[in-house]
Parts: sequence; C-alpha cells; structure tokens
Amino acid sequence: MTFVMSKEDLRSWLGQLMEERTLIAPTSTDGLILFQQIARVEEVVLDFDNTVLPPKGCFFPATETLFTVQREDGRINLIPSVVARETVLFGLRPCDANGIALLDKPFLAEPSDTLYQQHRDKTILVGLSCNKVSPECFCTSVGGAPNDSSHLDILLTKIEEGCIIQAITERGKALLPLKQAPQTEAQPPSPPCPEVVPVAGALEVIRQVFGDTYWSRLADRCIHCNLCAYVCPTCYCFDVRDYEDGGRIERVRTWESCQSPGFTRIAGGYDPRSSGGARLRQRFYHKLLYFAEQFGAISCVGCGRCVKFCPVNIDIREVVRDIQSLGVKGGA
Amino acid sequence: MEPESPFIPYLARLQSVTDLTPDTKLFNLELNDPAMRDNFDYSPGQFAFLSAFGVGEAPFCLASVSYRKAGLEFAVRRVGTVTSALHELEPGATVGVRGPFGNHFPLEDYKGRNIIIIGGGIGMAPLRPVINTIIDHRDDYGDLLIINGARTPQDLVFAPEFDIWAASPRSRVELTVDRGDEAWTGRVALVPDVVKELKPSPENAITITCGPPIMIHFVLEALRMLGFSDHQIVTTLEGKMKCGLGKCARCNVGEYYICKDGPVFTFEQISRFIEQF
Ligand SMILES: Cc1cc2nc3c(=O)[nH]c(=O)nc-3n(C[C@H](O)[C@H](O)[C@H](O)COP(=O)(O)OP(=O)(O)OC[C@H]3O[C@@H](n4cnc5c(N)ncnc54)[C@H](O)[C@@H]3O)c2cc1C
Repeated sequence: MTFVMSKEDLRSWLGQLMEERTLIAPTSTDGLILFQQIARVEEVVLDFDNTVLPPKGCFFPATETLFTVQREDGRINLIPSVVARETVLFGLRPCDANGIALLDKPFLAEPSDTLYQQHRDKTILVGLSCNKVSPECFCTSVGGAPNDSSHLDILLTKIEEGCIIQAITERGKALLPLKQAPQTEAQPPSPPCPEVVPVAGALEVIRQVFGDTYWSRLADRCIHCNLCAYVCPTCYCFDVRDYEDGGRIERVRTWESCQSPGFTRIAGGYDPRSSGGARLRQRFYHKLLYFAEQFGAISCVGCGRCVKFCPVNIDIREVVRDIQSLGVKGGA
Repeated sequence: MEPESPFIPYLARLQSVTDLTPDTKLFNLELNDPAMRDNFDYSPGQFAFLSAFGVGEAPFCLASVSYRKAGLEFAVRRVGTVTSALHELEPGATVGVRGPFGNHFPLEDYKGRNIIIIGGGIGMAPLRPVINTIIDHRDDYGDLLIINGARTPQDLVFAPEFDIWAASPRSRVELTVDRGDEAWTGRVALVPDVVKELKPSPENAITITCGPPIMIHFVLEALRMLGFSDHQIVTTLEGKMKCGLGKCARCNVGEYYICKDGPVFTFEQISRFIEQF
C-alpha cells in the first residue's frame, strides 16, 4: 500500500498518533538531532542526516530498572519493571531499523529478555528513507540500503509534495489514517549510493589477522572513551548493578563497553584482555566474526556514527580495508 | 501476565553460614518456594548468581550435589563488594538465587576412568560436587586422586571433609601449601610440583583442575609432560559476567560465552579458541 501524504496531513496524522501513544521522533536540541519524546508536533524534525544517537535506547535504555526490591514486614518482594505505553518511533533511518533487528538476536534468543521484548512489542517503527548520504555512511556494504524497508512497519520517503508512504506490515497499515489519498504513481527518488567497503573480502581473511601487531598499533591512539559503543546502534554489552536510594532498592542495567579497562577483570585482579590492543580487537572481532558466527549476520549497519564521532579517527571502514590487505599479505 | 524476566532471582533463606577459611564462608540456602526446591536440579560444574539485595549479584559455583537435596551450597571467598556483603549476612537472611547456569563436568562420560582432581584455593568449590558424586557412586569410577593446594594450611577450603574423601575406597587426598605454620607437617610445595612428584598415569585417566590462572598454566604444563592429552584435561574458566544468559557479552571469548557454552571446557577446546583466556 503506497500513497502520498501532504506535509499538512503528515502533521495532523502525527498529532493524532500522539493522543494515544508516546511519540518519539528526531528533534533539534542545541543543534543536536536527537530522538526525544514529542510534546508538540512542531518539534519533529524531518530534515537531517541522521540522529546523533541511534534509537536503541527505546528498547535497551542506557539505564533501566529491571526490578525493584520491596521490603514489607521483613518479607522481600521483587517487582519486575513493566512497559505500559504504546510507542511510535518515528523518523528512524533504515540502517537504524536494521540495528534494532540485530539487537533482537541476542536479546530475544532464549531465554528471551522479557523487558526488551515488551519494548519491542509495544513500539511501532515508522522509518524515513535517506535522500542523501553522509560522508561516513556505508550501509550498502553491510546488506542495507538507503530505502530498505525490511525491519520497519511503515516507510516514508520525502518528496516535493510531502511524503510517499509505504505500509510494510499489517501493524503499520493499521496505524495509518483511514482517509487516505489514492494509491500513487509517484516514484521515490532513486536512492543515493554510499561508499563501498570490502566487508566480504575482509571476512575471508579475518581469522588470519588476529595475532597481528596491527591491533596494538591501532590501540596506541585509542583513548578508551567508549564513544564508539555509545553511539553504535548494535553495541549491546551491559552491566547490572543495584542502586539503593532512601531505602528503595533497584536492580539496574546500564550500557557497558568492551573498551572499558576492567571489562574482563576477574576476582584476584587477573584480566585476560588487559591490553588496549586486545580490547580494540574484541570490538571488531565481535562485530565482524563472533556475532556473525552466532547469529548469521555481522553486527554493523554502516551508519558511520563511530567514524564520525571517534575523537582519534579510528575508522571501521579503514579497519576493514586493513584486515583485508593484511590477510592478503599474510596469506601470500 | 507478562512472562517472568530471566533477571528476577528466586528468593532463598540462608540456613547456615560456616567459616571455611579466614576469607571463605560456606552458605547453605533453601529456596523459599517449595515447588522450586524440588525442581532446582543441577550438575557439578554449574553455577548460579547470588544476590545481596541493595549491593548486587555475582556468580558462584554450586558446591553441593543436587541429588542429596540438602540445600544449595556455595563457598564464597571475600574479594570485593558483593562477596563482602554476602559475608555480612546471618542465617535467616533472604538472598536471591538465579540459575543454574552453564554446562557441567560430563561425569557420565568418565565412568570407569581414573579421576585426578587438582584444585587450588577457592578453585575447590566446583570440584567438591565432583568428588562427592564420585564417592557416592564409587563403583562407577576408577581410582580417585585429589591434589589440593592453598596458600597456607588455614586456606584449605574443605579441610573438614578431607578425611571423608580419603576414607572412600581407592581414593587418595594429597595436600600441599605454599607456606606452612607450626602445626603443619605436610608438604610445602606448589601444586604443579606435586603433580610432577606424584606422576599420575595418563592411562584411562581424566584430570579435572580448577584454581588461579597461574596454577592452571603450570599444572597444564606438568600434565602434558606426563603424557596427558589436552582432551583428558578439563577445567572451568572464570570470566567476568553479568547475566548468565549469553546476553551481556562480558564473558565472550571467540565464538563462545563462558556462561552458557562453559564454564567447563577441555584444554583441547580452549587451545582452539581464537583468543587465549
Ligand atoms: C562461573 C564462575 C564461578 C565462580 N565460582 C566462585 C565460587 O564458587 N566461589 C567464589 O568465591 N568465587 C567464585 N567466582 C568468582 C566470583 O564471581 C567473584 O569473586 C565475584 O564476582 C566478585 O564480586 P565482588 O562484587 O565481591 O567483587 P568486585 O567488587 O567486583 O571485585 C572483584 C575483583 O576485582 C578487583 N577490583 C574491583 N575493582 C577494581 C578496580 N577498580 N581496580 C582494580 N581491581 C579492582 C577486586 O580487588 C577483586 O579482586 C566465580 C566466578 C565465575 C565466573
């Protein structure tokens, strides 16, 4: 089902959605484009490259209470967190939708992470295809496309008159206004073509490059700020801790990063991955090799955020090229 | 009704706390829910997370055997935040238990074999249920040799049980310490040197070893020298972990998660890991 929605109709549709659901969409705050809960439709921004942070926090928040401990007459009760409200996540890019599909793999693998599952079940994904590429994008090299609708309920493509609307799933169809413009002949503009990175070539030789000094050399400039994991739509390492505040105890899950010193340190102080090189290598090997072996897809969607925000210019596209050329050299 | 979150622990009552060494206590717990008590089955090598509510949770080996149905036991060494909070608890306190997790020592496959147990320090915790299973089913297994080392005599974790183990037919318990004291008349030697001294035969044998990484390293060397193949040497790997479900990615090593693919591995498996842990 495809039709054109005018800018005015889009605004009133979003207004309608907000009445019954939480609407989360890109907004501009101090010049930063961020997903935020929308209070007024005018806050929604449609003209942007991509958000600074991916929408992964809608499903896997940076900090989330797993359960609360209640003490009553000396007895302890554990109260699990529940996701109550239906949410519409509006304006996510196809690469980020792919990122959510990749997060599903570990979180929904048995035994399913029920809190994550609730966020997923209660959220409808309305995507926005890309009419232009950013310098750091490479989605087509990792199986995506600027107009990929695979993991969305509805896909919007901006055109002069408004938006071309494609309902992808039944759930998406049900969300659309009943009164619609007729089916359209309008063609979306042909998608732009992002840069090509030789992922397949690198994957062929990646095992051979594991012991190379390349990783410690690359880590020489890494400052372990964890920004790459923070902005990544598919990084999902987490920590679990208890917080006690005024007698109220919560068990809380927070984002963690394999780049943190001490990430793998065990009791007694032994740390099998104590060097920066070993930690940086883990980031790339987990994404490109281990995750793929476990779940059948590499865990990178080519959004380029880590490339854009790394303070020391560690660029996954270069790393992939280096793996390929080191492997070829080593193999010769 | 939403399905139960795998992060919600079962509640359990601390039945007894016993000092094992100056820094290690044995906790015996009973799950509050009687139905759960019957269903909570586990095997030697498996582990569970214990919660001290308000402080956090950490993984510990199940040091008891399931079939005895005499409560869940954990030997906990005080090293940091959660372990210190657990050490503060008194009998009657409520704790959380999440598990059992991980694979186990495949004792069914070891029937008829000679078993060599080599443990250092708190590494005896996962070995105790192995030993107890063997002595409870003594005819199923060949000779049992237990080599147990610790820093000092006071640090030998399961000292009160040594006599019971040694009294079992075809069983020997060999003890060693890094530093003796006035009362100690036994060996003062490092565990790997005791292995070299006793020269157990690799013939029809399986070695199960747990302890600090440095001990494991040299025990492995000694066993290889004696002719043991890596598939005959089994250990548990310790990894920092937060979920036990293969999700938090903390204990990821190569294609494996220690929490669900392990913690029990043979050295043949470990030597094939892409990353050495
Ligand atoms: C499968 C498995 C089974 C286990 N079985 C047992 C068992 O049966 N018995 C047992 O006693 N233990 C066992 N352990 C180990 C146990 O889980 C740890 O001892 C426990 O998690 C420590 O938690 P903690 O909060 O007390 O320590 P933490 O506070 O997390 O500290 C842990 C260690 O890290 C060091 N450390 C912490 N922070 C820092 C820092 N900033 N800088 C430098 N060092 C630091 C501490 O000194 C300490 O040595 C097992 C572990 C695993 C993975």
